[in-house]
Amino acid sequence: MRNTLKSIFKDGKFRLGFGILVFLLLMIFLYPLFVPNPPLEIIGRGTFFPPGVYVSNLDSVSGAPIYSLTLADAEAKRLASKLSLEDRAEMKTYLLAVGVPEEQINIEDTAALLALWAEKYDPKLNVKGMIFAKLQYYRRLNDKLVSLLDSEGLILARETDGVLEKTGQVLPLDYVNIGEVSSVRVLPLGTDNFGRDVLTELVKATGVSLQIGLIAGSIATAIGLVLGLISGYVGGWLDDLIMFFTNLLIVIPSLIILILISYSISQSERGPTTIAIVIGLTSWVWTTKAVRAQVISLRNRDHVNLSKLSGHSTASIILRDILPYIASYVVMAFILQISSAILAEASLSILGLGPKTTLVPTLGLMMNWAMIYQAHILGKWWAYFPVIVVIALITFSMNLINTSLDQIFNPALRE
Amino acid sequence: MKGYWKYFRKKLLWLLITTIFAFVLNFLLPTLMPGDPVAGIVSRLAQGMSTSTGVKEIYENYAEQFGINKPIIEQFFIYVRNVFRGEFGVSFTQYPRPVSDIIKSAVTWTIALQLPAIIVGWILGNTLGAVAAYRKGPFDKALLPLSILISNFPAFGMAVILLVIFAVRLRWFPTSGGYGFDMIPTLSWGFVASVLHHYVLPFLSIVLITIGGQAIGMRSMAIYELNADYVKYSRFMGIKDNQIVKYVFRNAMLPQLTGLALSIGTMVGGSIVAETIFSYPGLGTTILSAIKGQDYPLVSAVTLIITIMVLIVNFLVEVFYGFVDPRIRATQAE
Amino acid sequence: MGKTILKVDNLKTKYITRYNEDVYAVNDVSLEVEEGKSLGIAGESGCGKSTLALSLMGYYFAPLHYVSGDIVIDGKNISSLEPDAVRQSVLGQEIAYIPQSAMNALNPTRKIINFIEDVVLAHEPNSDKKEIRQLAETRFELLGLPKSVLDHYPVELSGGMKQRTVIAISVFLSPKILIADEPSSALDVSSQKMVIKMLLDLMDRGLVKAMIFITHELPLLYNVTDDIMVMYAGQIVEKGTARQTVFDPLHPYSKGLMGSIIVPEAGVRNSKLSSIPGVPPNLKHPPQGCQFAERCKYVVEECKTHEISMRPAEGDRAYRCIFGEDVLRKAYNNG
Repeated sequence: MRNTLKSIFKDGKFRLGFGILVFLLLMIFLYPLFVPNPPLEIIGRGTFFPPGVYVSNLDSVSGAPIYSLTLADAEAKRLASKLSLEDRAEMKTYLLAVGVPEEQINIEDTAALLALWAEKYDPKLNVKGMIFAKLQYYRRLNDKLVSLLDSEGLILARETDGVLEKTGQVLPLDYVNIGEVSSVRVLPLGTDNFGRDVLTELVKATGVSLQIGLIAGSIATAIGLVLGLISGYVGGWLDDLIMFFTNLLIVIPSLIILILISYSISQSERGPTTIAIVIGLTSWVWTTKAVRAQVISLRNRDHVNLSKLSGHSTASIILRDILPYIASYVVMAFILQISSAILAEASLSILGLGPKTTLVPTLGLMMNWAMIYQAHILGKWWAYFPVIVVIALITFSMNLINTSLDQIFNPALRE
Repeated sequence: MKGYWKYFRKKLLWLLITTIFAFVLNFLLPTLMPGDPVAGIVSRLAQGMSTSTGVKEIYENYAEQFGINKPIIEQFFIYVRNVFRGEFGVSFTQYPRPVSDIIKSAVTWTIALQLPAIIVGWILGNTLGAVAAYRKGPFDKALLPLSILISNFPAFGMAVILLVIFAVRLRWFPTSGGYGFDMIPTLSWGFVASVLHHYVLPFLSIVLITIGGQAIGMRSMAIYELNADYVKYSRFMGIKDNQIVKYVFRNAMLPQLTGLALSIGTMVGGSIVAETIFSYPGLGTTILSAIKGQDYPLVSAVTLIITIMVLIVNFLVEVFYGFVDPRIRATQAE
Repeated sequence: MGKTILKVDNLKTKYITRYNEDVYAVNDVSLEVEEGKSLGIAGESGCGKSTLALSLMGYYFAPLHYVSGDIVIDGKNISSLEPDAVRQSVLGQEIAYIPQSAMNALNPTRKIINFIEDVVLAHEPNSDKKEIRQLAETRFELLGLPKSVLDHYPVELSGGMKQRTVIAISVFLSPKILIADEPSSALDVSSQKMVIKMLLDLMDRGLVKAMIFITHELPLLYNVTDDIMVMYAGQIVEKGTARQTVFDPLHPYSKGLMGSIIVPEAGVRNSKLSSIPGVPPNLKHPPQGCQFAERCKYVVEECKTHEISMRPAEGDRAYRCIFGEDVLRKAYNNG
């Protein structure tokens, strides 16, 4: 036993798979200790805020101490961030129209572009072939650029009885230390379509999905083990009957059965546990087949026959002479069941048949929400990509563990 | 040949039994669950209808069609009769289009997408797996974990990633649909080109998923065969290595066919979900919208059609397998 | 003295495990088989006798590797040949092999005749398939096998029929020497008899010139072969005629081995049944000195430190022990 464990932990594949799994579990247990926010709390008023550090605007202007920093590239950056790509393209169009050669215009270089603009733009000039509306647009654009260039910062004012009274000023050189701003929220994965913190939600969803996998896997393995043992050891008509149903359920797509059952359960009753139970009840067939095959190969071994001759009861033979020999297979089947149950939940949820609950998220539900709100088309990667990665990590790690166990217990697959 | 016919008859009988079972499941599961499907149907239909006589009329109409007031056995036979007549009722979400009409077009799309994709994935996966088993070394070391990763990657995940990279970012392919939204299905070049253009990504995502799983299976199978006694004996009889490799691959490939037959249900399930990501006009997207719209007749019809399709494909693969593998014929002849 | 068909000198081969450890399963084996003679090799399972069978073929593939030594068949040293030359001109033609279990020795999805074609074509690429078929039919009839077997798949044949088919294929190219590795152990008694009869028949008909017979069933060896060698932990520990080795074993291991079986001969039947306590040494880390020392009843200190080599004994035989034959015989007589 000890040697087996040792050789299991020696295997690279096992270590990788086990490592990933432990990492995910640590995440699930440790993350809430550091970020105790409720996972489904709606914090964003709007959809899909990108990942980043969110700093209270009010607090940074009025609460935090001001520092003056002279940074050479600050102005260029400020301008660059305010000048949209469209504006730059329009500026280029104008410059080309007034006869600037194309190679002289570089819309990436903000400073050079502005300098060129200041030199060439003439509000009175009627550019040939340009309609009035367009000329008006350039006039507005120019006004915006001028205000950008001679910005003296912002004036803060308070309104009393319709009169504005200056209370302070924000200068271009003013900086605040992010650590001294009282309200800061880090959203490493932004928010989702409902305005919820994706990372916090994801950690919770991973936990719930693993629970679903665990429940479904336990049910499926228990059913599969019992049926497989009966079928393999007892044999006879029981075997025929069990194998008949097993073979039936093998050819009928389990997703279809899942869809039918889930669709038939009313929405309000479809919690994560219900879904887990349904998945468990529909996915025991492979375990039954595997256990049966193992038991049949064991049934006539010497030690089993000896126990039979010694008058041990069937239960005791199964418990003492059969179970220990198939334990490794059962563990492997269990691991696979967990990972396929997690996938099944995700598939169901994407079809809109997942757990209908606003209390807890699951990986499938997060995926479903992201798909309904078109996160993938809109380029909001943080809403769906981490979910896919987590699902893939779970199934990958479990299958890696399984493959490595298989190679250790089935020496033929080595080399 | 005698063995083969016995095998064939057995498989045919099995197809019949499984089909009956599929009917029973499809009929029984929703019926056994709490709630009367017809009541649900009517409540959907009656939305916006103010007269109670109208609701009652609809209810009676449907109750008649589904035989809701009759004993359950009779209901079942009414259901089977309806299915064989192609009467699946009328869709709610696409009222008044009959369900059979919707399904007919969706089935074509799904078969045209999934059948070639699964076959191509199967061939590629088996080739890769066999090469990995034979070459061993770094190729195998890299391929195995990669295959495990890909094959356990959720099909929808693969679909989303391909979609984002090739359709949203690179804009090489369209993001959704089976053909350009401005097109009318005809046999013109423009339409065919558009269909092919829309076909690439869904096809690729199914192929990739299939490759991974098949490669793993083939690898174990081929390693097992490479260690078989006949390999050693053939070597000692002086047979060339490439001839032996041919033996091994053929022998490993054949059981993979049964593997294909058994896993076709799971594959189709995964692909159905992947279809929805691309809004491909097949059964996946149909069932997605049917579920969203609480369109009971449509959900029921799609699940039944998918099951029966899987059963038929499974049957065909098994029949073909028995034809090419003498081991099957021999065990049947005994 | 007949012509020497097979002469093996100091053959050494090893397995390389997946942890890159060397296991010397055949260590310094020398033997000789003359025309018309058969040699039996006996030993417990795991003693390296099956590996010796594989090693004698002169054609090595992972995890088995050639280390040193010579294999000379009918005057031709095949150890110096390139692997493909061995495959092309030695395997099947000079030396042939009958595997331990015929159950899976044939490709299940290839008809017997197709496999025979593959074998012939591998050696003579320009052969005509029609001629091969004719040859196969004649040969099968000669060996008492129905020709219809040719058109069957291996899975369609019974166990005994499969084993006889394998033998017929093995000698199809009329090899000089045949190596049979437990050819009958997986069969029922009547099939066993037929297989043994067929093997002896091959020698009588001159289809093979000499034979090496490997088994753990000593009575079988005694009845079938002329000479017997006993193997232990990859080494030959005793060689002599069948009669000498069975009735007058010299090496303590041979003594134990012979004692652990019942030989159907009047004089031996009464002797006490004994089995040898202990297990063979781990060949990954073979002990210094005598390999058998750990299990030997008569062990002395020197056995564990001195390399023991084969020593000749009276009656043209040899054994590997520190003691002289008289000392051993005396010890055996005292029990």
